Amino acid sequence: MTQPLLSVRNLTIDYIGEEKDFRAVNDVSFDVAPGEVFGLAGESGCGKSTIAFAISRLHKPPALIRKESRILLDGRDVLDLDREALAAFRWREVAMVFQSAMNSLNPVLRIEAQFYDMLRTHKGMSRAEARERTAEMLTLVDISPDRMRDYPHQFSGGMRQRIVIAICMALDPKLVVMDEPTTALDVVVQREILQRINELRRSFGFSVLFITHDLGLMVQFCDRIGIMLAGQLVEQNTAEAIYRTPEHDYTKKLWASFPSLHGGVLL
Amino acid sequence: MAFLLRRLVFYMAAFIAAATINFFLPRLMPGDPVQIMFSSAGAELPPESLQALKLTFGFVDGPLWQQYLTYLGSIFTGDLGRSIKYFPLPVTSVLGHALVWTVGLMGTATIVSFALGTFLGIAAAWRRGSTFDVVVSVGAIFATSVPAVVTSLIVLFIFGFTLGWFPNGYAADPSLDPAFTLQYIGSIAYHGILPMVTLCTVLIGGFTVTMRNNMINLLGEDYIVMARAKGLSDRHVMLWYAARNALLPTVSSLAIAIGTILGGSLVTEVVYNYPGLGNILYQAILARDYPVIQGQLLIMTATMLIANFIVDISYVMLDPRLKGA
Amino acid sequence: MKTLLRNRKALIGLAIIAFIVVVAIAAPLLTHYDPAARTGRPHQAPSLDHILGTTRIGQDVFARLIYGARTSLAVGFGAGLLITLVGTALGIISGYRGGKTDEVISFFTNMVLVVPNLPLLLVLAAFIGQASPVVIALILGATSWAWGARVTRAETLSVKQKDFVKSAEMMGEPQWRIMTFEIFPNVISIVGINFIGSVIFAIITEATLEFLGLGDPRAISWGTMLYNAQKASALSVGAWWDILTPCFALAFLGIGMSLLNFAVDEIANPRLRTGNHLKRWSLLVRSGEGRL
Repeated sequence: MTQPLLSVRNLTIDYIGEEKDFRAVNDVSFDVAPGEVFGLAGESGCGKSTIAFAISRLHKPPALIRKESRILLDGRDVLDLDREALAAFRWREVAMVFQSAMNSLNPVLRIEAQFYDMLRTHKGMSRAEARERTAEMLTLVDISPDRMRDYPHQFSGGMRQRIVIAICMALDPKLVVMDEPTTALDVVVQREILQRINELRRSFGFSVLFITHDLGLMVQFCDRIGIMLAGQLVEQNTAEAIYRTPEHDYTKKLWASFPSLHGGVLL
Repeated sequence: MAFLLRRLVFYMAAFIAAATINFFLPRLMPGDPVQIMFSSAGAELPPESLQALKLTFGFVDGPLWQQYLTYLGSIFTGDLGRSIKYFPLPVTSVLGHALVWTVGLMGTATIVSFALGTFLGIAAAWRRGSTFDVVVSVGAIFATSVPAVVTSLIVLFIFGFTLGWFPNGYAADPSLDPAFTLQYIGSIAYHGILPMVTLCTVLIGGFTVTMRNNMINLLGEDYIVMARAKGLSDRHVMLWYAARNALLPTVSSLAIAIGTILGGSLVTEVVYNYPGLGNILYQAILARDYPVIQGQLLIMTATMLIANFIVDISYVMLDPRLKGA
Repeated sequence: MKTLLRNRKALIGLAIIAFIVVVAIAAPLLTHYDPAARTGRPHQAPSLDHILGTTRIGQDVFARLIYGARTSLAVGFGAGLLITLVGTALGIISGYRGGKTDEVISFFTNMVLVVPNLPLLLVLAAFIGQASPVVIALILGATSWAWGARVTRAETLSVKQKDFVKSAEMMGEPQWRIMTFEIFPNVISIVGINFIGSVIFAIITEATLEFLGLGDPRAISWGTMLYNAQKASALSVGAWWDILTPCFALAFLGIGMSLLNFAVDEIANPRLRTGNHLKRWSLLVRSGEGRL
């Protein structure tokens, strides 16, 4: 492939306890190409969210990223960035959508304020400019711009998730990391959100790192998939291959545990 | 709005409850209630005045409910009877004067210690695990665990008696005449420093720990992580995402703390001979001036309720989720 | 219990409390003076004979201190126990039974919460006259349970939803059994915190009430020591030992109990810990083994 957008090399992350350590991520390496949707699948606790957090360096002690790890975005090692560079890097190059949008938005600030603080920090926009950009973004996700002065609790769960996506798009990032973005939503809303993300992806050309435990969903949405088990990346392939010819035992187990409606055929 | 209305109704009920306690106390004690209430009156009290006093407090002929309603009637028309010690001053004027001093001392001390304590709590939470955090947390523990009476006495001993930097009591220099002069106001400020410092020391620890714990409890929330992921500065996240949200439970704990604050300020006033409600109550108890004692309970309860209501209003203003309700 | 002993704050706090308890119990061994008797000249400064000096009427301050410890501790723990019992019982009952019972008890609880504590106690004590320490303990128990009831009720509400409670209900266990054997053991940490807080409150309030002159001045407790010293204008006449001794004793006990309180809080909610539990992490970062 051409130069990958995201290149994770030998990523090892430990949680340092008072006596013992816990290895959450064990020597994981994978690439994500520009404009690609890469999925990380696995059950809870396998380390996929830990990886997601690490890309924007959102971890706090006692997490520790071991020295041999590399996270390269467009050739630059994210782990080497100093404070200023990191602040500029965040959201502008990598944006994140979290699991429960219910909690991702600050309950005491208006929606427009939650756009404004980020727009001012990164682009020095005035309030008026920020309002324009906010209206643009909200329209993209089908939320009426008149509602920008509302508070998060005045929106439904699905709408809040869309607002978060709108905030993500505002700086035109290269990579959007989605950590279980639709798990807390019902199936219909899930589908809508994923379709919307696909449309946006085609318009703006960003890559997606998609994290979920729902393998079936992933196969429909992702181009390539990595399977994680207990901190290790046990299999990595195109979605088609993962679906039709899974190699690792665990991958096969994941498929086997899937209740099938039509006797094994998913799509 | 509905929230505030409900609170108002509740406060009304609580006030009536306090009045009810007042009503039943003398009647539940062994002995003749009239005797107990007015025993300290002695011979100086003219019989018509004694009669009027009895009427105010509901000691009329008739069934209990009638006595009760008579008493409630007096209260809601602002008649709290007359003080026995300061006869013929009405209880309301005795308490009214003192109320000003108490609100001044207690109000200022609460605002100052809330502001300082909250700020310290935010700083400690953000620098969690650092030496600063340990010092602040342990300091807060020490400050809250020492009873107000002890803090007052020790502060008075060190700064009033030993070092002589500040006066040993009273609201202002007793040799000055009360007036709106700079000199008198200056004297008030000077005399107010030690009691203020004492009260603040007593109160600040609680606010610090509360705010710190509230901050820590929400530092793992998704909106905090997203705020950091957005590349916002640490300071911005700490103030607008963490502290702004942690303020809510801290403000509601303020409402609960008001009772303790009243108690602490009462003790401080006695130690410093400050002419506030606390001191008046104390003197009234020594003199067995029951009309004042009972009036005190009502005024202090009313103060609590009003303070609580102000906190309720603040809470509604701070939490957008309640504004529409 | 083990985690409690590993916590530094808890250790120091328990040590302080244990020390005071031991001193109180061993009082007759530590002094031969009768705390109530006149054994020296009035307001003698501390000397070899009277290590903490004497009061205005010539009583040995040290003897009063250690015998007074007994009363202050007894009232503190006794009233604390009473407050906790009432609060826990009401909290569990209203939380578990819900409905009308809950409404009535909660209304009553909120009402008691909103009437200022100390003024109410003062009024009560004024009507009762000179309240002996036992009476003080009783009225504290009768008026100060509301906060404990509220937090216990909140805890009960969340425990109520758990599976083992539901299965006990389905098996037909009577309500009182469920509340005692299923709910209570699972809210025990909040009851513990409540107890420690109540004891702190009781000790402080008893001392305050006695200082204000509502106790029995003949009783020997730290609060009455404060009262008598204040009445004798100890500070103004320079007899600092008379008034500062009970002050420091109360402060010392208060600090001990508070440390214990905070330690229990930290254990119940480990995120609140202070102090450096990240030593190994810092070491690794500094040696370049890793970063954030």
